[in-house]
Amino acid sequence: MLFNSLDFAIFLPLVFALYWFVLKPSLNRQNLFVVLASYVFYAWWDYRFLALIVLSTLVDFVVAKLMHRETTQTRRKILLLVSLCFNLGLLVFFKYYNFFISSWVDAWQLIGVSMQTTTLQIILPVGISFYTFQTLSYTIDVYRKNIEPTSNFIQFAAFVSFFPQLVAGPIERASQLLPQFSQKRVFNSEFAISGFYLIIWGLFKKVVVADNCAFFVNQIFDGGGAYTSLELFLGAVLFGFQIYGDFSGYSDIAIGVARLFGFSLMTNFSFPYFSRDIAEFWRRWHISLSTWFRDYLYIPLGGSRGNTWQGIRNVFIVFLVSGFWHGANWTFVIWGGIHALLFLPLLLIKVHRKYLETTRISLGQLPFILFTFVLVTFAWIFFRADNASMAMQYIQDIFSFNSGSVATFYKTPKMLLFSAIIVISISILLLFEFLAVQKNKKEVVLTTYTAVCIAMLICFMGVFKNPSEFIYFQF
Amino acid sequence: MLFLKRIGFVVLVFIGMSMLVSWGSLWALRQSSFYKPSFLVNSLSEKSFDYIVLGASTGLTTLNTKVIDSMLHTNGVNLSMDDTALSSQYLMLQHFLAQGKTTKVCVLAPSVKDYDVRTNELSGNDYRFLPYVNTTYVYDYYKQFKGVDAKVLAYSKWFPMLGVSYYNVELFYPSLVALMQPEKRNRFDATGNYVYPESKKASKMINDLKSVTLDFKNPYVNKIKALCKANDIELICYISPMEGKKVMVSSKDFLVINHSDLLKDSKYFFDAIHVDSKGRQVASEQFTNDIKALRK
Repeated sequence: MLFNSLDFAIFLPLVFALYWFVLKPSLNRQNLFVVLASYVFYAWWDYRFLALIVLSTLVDFVVAKLMHRETTQTRRKILLLVSLCFNLGLLVFFKYYNFFISSWVDAWQLIGVSMQTTTLQIILPVGISFYTFQTLSYTIDVYRKNIEPTSNFIQFAAFVSFFPQLVAGPIERASQLLPQFSQKRVFNSEFAISGFYLIIWGLFKKVVVADNCAFFVNQIFDGGGAYTSLELFLGAVLFGFQIYGDFSGYSDIAIGVARLFGFSLMTNFSFPYFSRDIAEFWRRWHISLSTWFRDYLYIPLGGSRGNTWQGIRNVFIVFLVSGFWHGANWTFVIWGGIHALLFLPLLLIKVHRKYLETTRISLGQLPFILFTFVLVTFAWIFFRADNASMAMQYIQDIFSFNSGSVATFYKTPKMLLFSAIIVISISILLLFEFLAVQKNKKEVVLTTYTAVCIAMLICFMGVFKNPSEFIYFQF
Repeated sequence: MLFLKRIGFVVLVFIGMSMLVSWGSLWALRQSSFYKPSFLVNSLSEKSFDYIVLGASTGLTTLNTKVIDSMLHTNGVNLSMDDTALSSQYLMLQHFLAQGKTTKVCVLAPSVKDYDVRTNELSGNDYRFLPYVNTTYVYDYYKQFKGVDAKVLAYSKWFPMLGVSYYNVELFYPSLVALMQPEKRNRFDATGNYVYPESKKASKMINDLKSVTLDFKNPYVNKIKALCKANDIELICYISPMEGKKVMVSSKDFLVINHSDLLKDSKYFFDAIHVDSKGRQVASEQFTNDIKALRK
């Protein structure tokens, strides 16, 4: 079920009303209802893959309980391995099986050996990368004794399948979300209103910014060499806004919907295009994933401790794995590698924490913001391209400087209209975000009247006919 | 309670303002000549015509009413719209008659394949009738179809914000243009014609013609025939030129002018089913000659 669909517009008020007005006195009934609603939400896409979620829930629930009882470290490790193998096994099979097979064959072909293999027609279950990471964090935290395992299966099932963030995050930590399922729900009007406004803002980012950008992005990226250097560059810039509007819009809606049910989810995006260097960008972009990798991969590897070479190795591992997490394609690995290369100089000269404390920006920092944005934009080309050679060709065509024409953006009235909508919507997005950054806010906070205005903009500037799916659903 | 009050306020103000804007948008389109349905209401002062052309892009770009009128000394108008089906042409005829206008002849020129479609669906440009959704014939037209697009258009009778926001690029922004320039037309001239530019194709004779047989199975053929009969209008079905196809027509109780194999050179075609400006001139002249011959 898409957040920007009529189905969800009916589903949400119905679930909200039942949750607060019918089931409210009983915490167990509310949690059970969250599980059922989440399963319906997921089954709307494909009911067959519900079994994976149920299985993942069962395995991690049992493993964590057994792990807690065990006193010997070896047995605890074995149990952790069971959870890791099961969850990562699911992920590898459904997401990476065909990629590994074809890469294996390609590798042998490089030395002249041809192999016959069989790939499988595997459907990637929506959200598998998100919920497997969420449940993994639970068993790892129990293993590390950071949290106690829950003895309430319904609460755990609700934590794993919580529908607002089930298919595209934020990837929540058990320590943050799970205890909320054991707390008595008290309806907080201000909290719920803030959630409602965040849903409106998220919809604006998705339906207005991202989906209108998609109009040109799809044309330019799928159009071969038919575009000028400037058009190609602008196509990449628009993809940057498309993926930001799409993914952060989804996260905002997820956080907003969770607030309607009394749950607080972590901030997933914190105005990343106002970053002054790549390190800051990664503190602001997909925060739930980057902190996951920080806590469960980077720090266990040694982080920035140890010698310089170990630090460099760790950065590369984290960025490459993070890229690979996004999809079974070398383009994502290269994208991760590019970010590692951009991050390394900051690490080596020890300025990667320069903007840790202050989020407010000054006019003098504008060149740094633009420079960071351009670097990120070029990296996005690999993220969007179908394959690495296409991305290389795209970049090569940008640097051919063949023409400064941007006729693609105005040659028909429809194109001119889309260009105008995109310019207006991105300006509004950046203006609201700039104001939030300057006020040190974690998110854009709408007032009642700005919420009405943004809703009007969604109504008359949004893409409703043939809307695009959320990009991160494919991950 | 605070939540319901605040959310209720936002939702009500949003719906109220959106409805107002949408209503204004449809009003502006109704006062303009931007799309054909309002063009025929606002820009055609004549009450009676010698003929009208109802069709899809083929009718729009093949029959030039200026050429026909200059040769036959008649008064005709082209009410064709691209990306429409026979059902839309039936709706256009209903709309034409509902304005109190009359015509002696109705030239039907849809896409050829549309003549034999059995199950009709909402066409891509049927939203252009939305400013008239309060009329029974437009509402009933939308209501008969399945699918989200048709539902959105039908429910716009009560909630115009549904249709205007769903088709915002096609309706809301044109309505802003219509407010500033009510006389502006969307890619057609004062008599409703549009032409594709001259084709850059080299001259090449078309020798192999693939035969296609038409049986006029589309239920809307009979509906249009009945509506014409009820209003004393002569129906002529026109089959426009196609590149490499010859249409065979089974005998019918209405006149068929078949130009499917009229143009034997690729240079006359803009694409496989549309003629360019040269092809349009030849086809329009031949159509006129055919009419002249039939009238003798």
